[in-house]
Amino acid sequence: MKTFNLNPIEINLDSNNKILALPYGKVPLSYLVMLIKAGSEKDPKGKEGLADLWAESMTLGTKRRSLEELNFQVEKLGGYLEGSAGWDFSLLILSGLEERGNELLDILFEILSEPDFPSSEIEKAKERRLSNLLQFKDDPSKMADRLIWNMAMEGTPYAHPINGSLSSIKNITPEDIGHFHNQILPKERFTLFILSKELKAEFLKKAEKTFFKLIMQKEKNEKPPETKPSTLQPQILILDRPDLTQSEIRIAFSSISRKDDRYHVLKLMNYLLGGGGFSSRLMEKVRSQKGYTYSIRSSFSSLKTCGTLIISTFTPTDTTYATFEEILLTIEDFIKQGPTEKELEEAKRFFEKSLPLRLETPKQLLNEMISRETYDLKFQDLFEEIEKITKVKIEEIKSIANEILQTQKMQVLIIGNSQHFVKNFEDFKNLRVVPYKDVLP
Amino acid sequence: MRELLNFRRYTLDNGLRVLILEDHTLPILSYQVHVKAGSRFERPGITGISHLFEHMMFRGTSRLGPEEFSKIIQSRGGIVNAFTTQDHTTYWENVPSDQLELIIELEAHRLKELKLDQESFSTEREVVRSERKMRISTTPYGAAIEELFSLAYLRHPYRWPIIGWDSDLRKLSLKDCQEYFRLHYAPNSMVIVVCGDVVPERVLDLIYRYYGDLRPQECFHEIEPEPPQRGERKSVFKKPVELEAIFWAYHVPGIDSEDIFPLLGICECLSGGKSSRFWQKFVRPGKATEVRLVADPPPFWPKDPGLLILYAIEKPGTPLPSLEGEIEEEMRLFKKEGPTKDELEKVKNRLKASFLRNLESLFFRGLVGGIYEIKLDGFEKSWEILEKYESLKAEDMIRVAEKYLHEDNRTSIWVKSISLEENARFGLIE
Repeated sequence: MKTFNLNPIEINLDSNNKILALPYGKVPLSYLVMLIKAGSEKDPKGKEGLADLWAESMTLGTKRRSLEELNFQVEKLGGYLEGSAGWDFSLLILSGLEERGNELLDILFEILSEPDFPSSEIEKAKERRLSNLLQFKDDPSKMADRLIWNMAMEGTPYAHPINGSLSSIKNITPEDIGHFHNQILPKERFTLFILSKELKAEFLKKAEKTFFKLIMQKEKNEKPPETKPSTLQPQILILDRPDLTQSEIRIAFSSISRKDDRYHVLKLMNYLLGGGGFSSRLMEKVRSQKGYTYSIRSSFSSLKTCGTLIISTFTPTDTTYATFEEILLTIEDFIKQGPTEKELEEAKRFFEKSLPLRLETPKQLLNEMISRETYDLKFQDLFEEIEKITKVKIEEIKSIANEILQTQKMQVLIIGNSQHFVKNFEDFKNLRVVPYKDVLP
Repeated sequence: MRELLNFRRYTLDNGLRVLILEDHTLPILSYQVHVKAGSRFERPGITGISHLFEHMMFRGTSRLGPEEFSKIIQSRGGIVNAFTTQDHTTYWENVPSDQLELIIELEAHRLKELKLDQESFSTEREVVRSERKMRISTTPYGAAIEELFSLAYLRHPYRWPIIGWDSDLRKLSLKDCQEYFRLHYAPNSMVIVVCGDVVPERVLDLIYRYYGDLRPQECFHEIEPEPPQRGERKSVFKKPVELEAIFWAYHVPGIDSEDIFPLLGICECLSGGKSSRFWQKFVRPGKATEVRLVADPPPFWPKDPGLLILYAIEKPGTPLPSLEGEIEEEMRLFKKEGPTKDELEKVKNRLKASFLRNLESLFFRGLVGGIYEIKLDGFEKSWEILEKYESLKAEDMIRVAEKYLHEDNRTSIWVKSISLEENARFGLIE
């Protein structure tokens, strides 16, 4: 088997901002991605969704081109243009046919250096977001994901949906967007990723020369104070929707931040518990053995200052409580016994051997590069992380499971036809039952 | 682009077809088994059996326990899954290339030694019923789309959902599954695709070794063709929703027709990206939350005549009749004038780029070859896809718009919102 190695070309524009480039892919396409290391955690209170709307607003026109002209130009190059925020980062993504790479580069620079933030387009974008949020309300699964996140992150700068809420979006003005831009872009660090089947030296030189101009406009950033999550009180929230035949169940726990030394242990623990599909305990117990659901998984988010681990599933109304109980039993057993030697070895092998598969396409590779670069982690350290995974011991898994999966602190959300199962939950402390119709997205 | 889809085809004596594609860029491979077993091969009473059977393929064999198949592959660094469509069922594994023999042996083993017992069947049927609720009952428009298909098709099997009617799922028996397996899972009804870091001769040796003794099975399917639609069909679907919606379905030809490419061009021109006509006319100014004309691009376009779907999700404040009227006006305008020169260039480039983007993965390349082979008995037809996009013409787009996108060929459903109290009168959506 061939060895798998990747070494991006790193061009440092100054000590904080850089270009990471890699010839990658089998087809003649280019991907230009601007990562700005600030995201939704910067949203002001009452104006949640601002970072994401700002990132989109950069695609709504420049001083030289209207929204229509800008998007037509990009799409004519076989491309797409997207602006969006994550929790700790914002992205501008531009992709198109490789032969038009120079034009794509110029457009990306124009968007960043000459944004227009047209008021009328921003107002329309807000309207679109409000409609999209109403669409969320029709989908109990999406609503469950939004609401459990807020419950899990309470007390942190992350305790809101990235795309805001019906009330917060209404509060954002076009002036807020311009102000946010002037606060973020000159101060926050950026990395430009360039992935293309062929990467010509002159193209890289042009990118360096062009984006160096952005550095000239930068100011020094003062490091914001780090925030810590508050200690959560456990609660069970049931949202009653009598027309549903299936319940959405979410269970959330506080977890560790991205820079925690045990991140690789968490990754492995999550795989064993519920992230590893049919190789996970939750899938085995709840789906394969009991047939309660089509899907159950656990996933984790490790952010700058804190993190969360969320178990998600759905089940027909009449098995709602049985499913919940089975999840708790599985967790209890997992904490007590930990994984078996066989399970652990198989999980390690998965991470070790699946790496080329997980980085096969430029998009997959970009996602991995972005998630590491956001937290100032070197891409090459990915290989070291895999190495560390192969050395994890059962005791380490048990220890982190014991620390994170504390059922006495869990946040539980259930959306369903509550009259069929609410009685089973009445012994739990902090139980609230609220009509679904009263909850706004 | 041909080199990315340049499979070598081999046919075993038992009728099993094998497509092999070498690509040594990374030490990985995609292994796919495409079976002529989709909802078009079902009949009323056993709808959903193709999909349910797909689940049963993971429930164990003479030597493997439930889901052990998947666990073994994951433990070797692989990813495994399957999906069922109207026309076929596909089982796939993406794995490190040193696992080639293991995958071939395991896939052949489950065909020969599949364990179909009542306990597994009962468990998996409930899993599928939960999946059905997830896809149909609890989504905003899933049940309405299901009704759209059953209204648009009177006779053809595309009228029922791939996942099946809940009433049929409840009645399906283990015996039905055994019979379905016997009839459909024969080597002459399958295409195996192996692409990636492999040596064709070695692959072929292994395939002969593990699949060579499977016996072919005669299986005759008479698919009732859909009669031409003779006038618009309309319906209303009431349920509690925040946003009402319009769904239109136009009958269009199957994947072997040249017309699918200009039809995809129309979809792209009207609703692909932010510079598209629908986005500019309806979404940008806030007249609708979403308006799109969509079809599955090749290789996923259906084998038999399918449906081109237009959906429009309202923006509160714009009543459905007025939204519908404006969409009809846009369609009329397109039929009259077609795309502008710039729009045509954009449409071509976007369709090409989107297809190329997908070709980055071995998995997708395998799907293109395998699905073209199972639907049209020839993966070579996939070589034309990019050329067809490149040679799109405005007059062809106008021609197919006039031919297919007219009222008599349309089925329409409006999703109207009702209160929970009114909804209680109708009962629950299963």
